[in-house]
Amino acid sequence: MKRGLVVLLALVLMATPLSSAFAQSQTLDKIKEAGVLTIGTRTGSPPFAYINKNNEWVGFTIDLVEQLVIPAISKEVGKPIKLTKKESTPPNRIPLLNGNQVDLIAGTMTDTPERRQSVDFSLTFFLTGAQFLVKKGSPIHGINDIAGKRIATQQGSTNAKIIREKVPTAQLREFPDQPAAFQALLQGQVDAYTNDGIQLYGLKAKAPNPTDWEVVGDFFSEEPYGMAMRKGEPKFKQVVDAGLKQGFESGKYFEIYDKWFGPKGELPYPMSPQVKAYLLKQIGK
Amino acid sequence: MSYQFKWSVLWSGQSGHWLLQGLITTLELSALAWVLAVALGILSGALRTVPFKPLRAAAVFYVEFFRNVPLLVWMFFWYFGVPPLLPRGVQDWLFDHGAEFWAGMLALGVYHGARMSEVIRSGILAIPRTQFEASVAMGLSVWQAYRLVIVPIALRLIVPPITNESLNLLKNSSVALTISVAELTFQTRQIETYTARAFEALTAGTLIYLVLCVSIAWVMSSLERRYAIPGLIARVGGPG
Repeated sequence: MKRGLVVLLALVLMATPLSSAFAQSQTLDKIKEAGVLTIGTRTGSPPFAYINKNNEWVGFTIDLVEQLVIPAISKEVGKPIKLTKKESTPPNRIPLLNGNQVDLIAGTMTDTPERRQSVDFSLTFFLTGAQFLVKKGSPIHGINDIAGKRIATQQGSTNAKIIREKVPTAQLREFPDQPAAFQALLQGQVDAYTNDGIQLYGLKAKAPNPTDWEVVGDFFSEEPYGMAMRKGEPKFKQVVDAGLKQGFESGKYFEIYDKWFGPKGELPYPMSPQVKAYLLKQIGK
Repeated sequence: MSYQFKWSVLWSGQSGHWLLQGLITTLELSALAWVLAVALGILSGALRTVPFKPLRAAAVFYVEFFRNVPLLVWMFFWYFGVPPLLPRGVQDWLFDHGAEFWAGMLALGVYHGARMSEVIRSGILAIPRTQFEASVAMGLSVWQAYRLVIVPIALRLIVPPITNESLNLLKNSSVALTISVAELTFQTRQIETYTARAFEALTAGTLIYLVLCVSIAWVMSSLERRYAIPGLIARVGGPG
């Protein structure tokens, strides 16, 4: 009996280093060999990555990968590369990456110092910040009004962490996915739902009566979105960054931005001059 | 690159506090749900064997309806589906006072009650018919025969499968994180969010579940021995 337990424990502990041993193979070699880049991305985060009405898996981030990153990788390995998409969510995306199930996380992941200890990030490809989605006429106008209120967040996001530190009296309700959190807001289980402003605009547009809801508050966090890669592969990061950089320089990036966030896009969200300056500063402009 | 484990994330910062909080919530949630599940299980398991058709039908309906729908759906049902049926004022009060915990408890308890019911029914069916007839012949009513003879013996017969079911219940309590109950699995994810150290956090969670389950199995097997009726059941090899 006792020996059985020890063996079991050893198995549990061994399972993890096993998967990371595979990570020693270079991502670029793996992609070259398979002819496939596997990304982890979202299924319910319009317009970044989502399943649309025609049941197609599309979005801004997916376009960036297809039109900017894939060409850069193809050029690097000298052969055409295909794209495979897998679903990833905030709680499982780093394990997926470190477990080698995906090569690149391209969704709505914020580049943070803590995460940089586990993964490497590409250049920032989008900048937003946390705000609140509330029912029109709500007494909540920003982070200063949420003491004692029931606030939904998405677990694994940076927003919950900031609220816990800045307003410890707010009653946090953390949901593993956005649809459940949004449903809780629609039904009144919570008074507000906080997430990155851009995602809240997306949800508001999808709500049964969009005019009943509003996005309020200044950004209480800065959320630069990056694509995440396994740590310690500078060559791969260089290639991904080169693809994005090429997009910023040629203007292709802004065309894709306009397709999704322009006046006729899926979700109109004009780029502010500050955001544009932030993005271009990364490539020294 | 190879993954460098950094176990100190489990006790530095707030991690230890979170794990403890999560453990307490998991235990509270599971214990309350277990009491509910056992009560519902005994009631409906016994009703399925009584000689009165409408009661049997009601018990069959309960069991088949609740055990054949995924637990996740029941979580959403109790959290999102039930509150809108209540008056607005009651809803608000509930949402301010841990509605997610109680919804999770009901989902877990009612679902596992339906499963326990089958275990208890099998225990009752394992008792020879003559035992029931002997009880009635001694002048006990059907209710008394069940309360004093059938159910007490059935409960002793089913300790091993009930243990199984109880361990499942404990582990299934993690599904409550989908409706934002901050139980143990939720807290291991929380640690991952703060430290980006998923393997360490998951390993800690795994070990805690393992220790909890092994302890429960041990307590149940002691109970089995403590309450065994000498001479009633052949014990080839004995328990444990």
